[in-house]
Amino acid sequence: MASAAKRLEAVYGTATPQIAFDGVTLVLGGKTIIENLSLGVQPGEFLCIVGASGCGKTTALRLAAGLYQPTSGKVNFDGQPMREPRREIAIVFQDYGKALLPWRTAAGNVSLALEAGGMPSAERPARIEELLRTVGLPGHAGKYPSEMSGGMQQRLQIARCLAQEPKTLLMDEPFGALDAMTRQGLQDEVLSLVAASGATVIFVTHDLDEAIYLGDRVIGLLPHPGRIGIELSVNLPRPRDQLSTREHPEFLRLRRQLFDFIKATEQ
Amino acid sequence: MNRAAIIWRVASFAVAAGFVAIWQLIANLKLVSPVFLPGPDRAWAALMRGFSSGDLWSKLAGTLEHMAYGWLAASIAGIAIGAIIGSSSRMRTYVAPSLEFLRPLPVSAIIPVAIAMLGLTQAMALFVIAFGAIWPIMLATIHGFAAVEPRLYEVARSLQMSRLAVIFKIALPSASPDILAGMRLSLTVALILSVVCEILAGLDGLGHWVLLSARAFRSADLFAGVILLGLTGYVTSVAMSLAEHRLLAWQAAQR
Repeated sequence: MASAAKRLEAVYGTATPQIAFDGVTLVLGGKTIIENLSLGVQPGEFLCIVGASGCGKTTALRLAAGLYQPTSGKVNFDGQPMREPRREIAIVFQDYGKALLPWRTAAGNVSLALEAGGMPSAERPARIEELLRTVGLPGHAGKYPSEMSGGMQQRLQIARCLAQEPKTLLMDEPFGALDAMTRQGLQDEVLSLVAASGATVIFVTHDLDEAIYLGDRVIGLLPHPGRIGIELSVNLPRPRDQLSTREHPEFLRLRRQLFDFIKATEQ
Repeated sequence: MNRAAIIWRVASFAVAAGFVAIWQLIANLKLVSPVFLPGPDRAWAALMRGFSSGDLWSKLAGTLEHMAYGWLAASIAGIAIGAIIGSSSRMRTYVAPSLEFLRPLPVSAIIPVAIAMLGLTQAMALFVIAFGAIWPIMLATIHGFAAVEPRLYEVARSLQMSRLAVIFKIALPSASPDILAGMRLSLTVALILSVVCEILAGLDGLGHWVLLSARAFRSADLFAGVILLGLTGYVTSVAMSLAEHRLLAWQAAQR
């Protein structure tokens, strides 16, 4: 029951990381947000980043997205330096309400990514329908985001990201604003979507259980400045299950370890 | 429309009818000399006479033409300039003081300048109307472009959208409620300035008609022209509201 990354390593030998941070430091407004961060994310890996608020986890994600450029050090994607955001890296923002176009319907919002990718307009409707079905929004194509619940809007944002056909999916506390039931449902859906597409995922969250439940690997950041404080491999069987995975002794052991780490950083 | 809305609508018509009745009463009692104040009956008759002879039609067409051309020119220029200024915070800092100087400038002060440069011509009228009507549109566009959700620009970046696509698919639609509100304000400004230019430059239109009627003491014709101007303002503004309602259907969903 090896993790996705280990599986790939077994097949290909030591794979080149899809995303590689090499001694990355980011200074914003005279403040060092991230210091000397080195990190490799293997293709197909599901990496979760946790940490106390203000530890730079969202910043690390924005560096991986190419939305920020490091002050020193390098961020590479597939061995190439990241100079700007790229279409094969999709970002799911936490504030889905701000990341969707309120003047476009659900179908229109998904279409935005297809238009950007240069898909001919004749092919779009079928693809849009397929994507909306994939994220569990069939029959909502004509609705505006404001007519949808928070969970539905976040599904819609995920559909738009999938329309980019991303190699890497960057998720910034995507379920932070949702209620517990909706969150669990979406966690499982993201896992099956990712398994189906084979995308690499970096998932930022402040929910430690969520990180362990989803990830192949969990990294805990230390604050001021942000740096890696703990790194845990999650050797839990997949597919994960909301009940049995969370009751697994390994899950509980990792949970304990991570909680102790976070507690220590907060003192 | 629900019951309450119908009652309000009926009440508002009743108030309007009441005003007309008072007007008729004042005219009938000759509280104001009939030379200056015709009753609604005479004004109405003059309106009908003007239409049947075709004179008023051509005057109305003239005013509508001035208004439409000036307003459209102001809209195109206002949105274009506003978009350029609004999409860059540096531009806003540089240009804002000049705008603050030009904006409160009474447009009537520009008219002599325009007449000196362009003469008593249609071009002069077009310039003055467009100059007056551009401000609400341009300022609204600047505001609308400056207020685009930054997150959407990040979405656009991650989709590697072209600059043009960002303007037409993100910024313009996002600013459209502001822009349309500005365009509605400008519509009134354009009508006022059309009349002013027609009066000053003797251009064919309702302004000219009103002026000539007043000079000839044809008070019924004068009032017919004023009524028609009022109707023009009302109808164009209602049409604009309908267009706004249509274009901004997504906002209705938001409420």
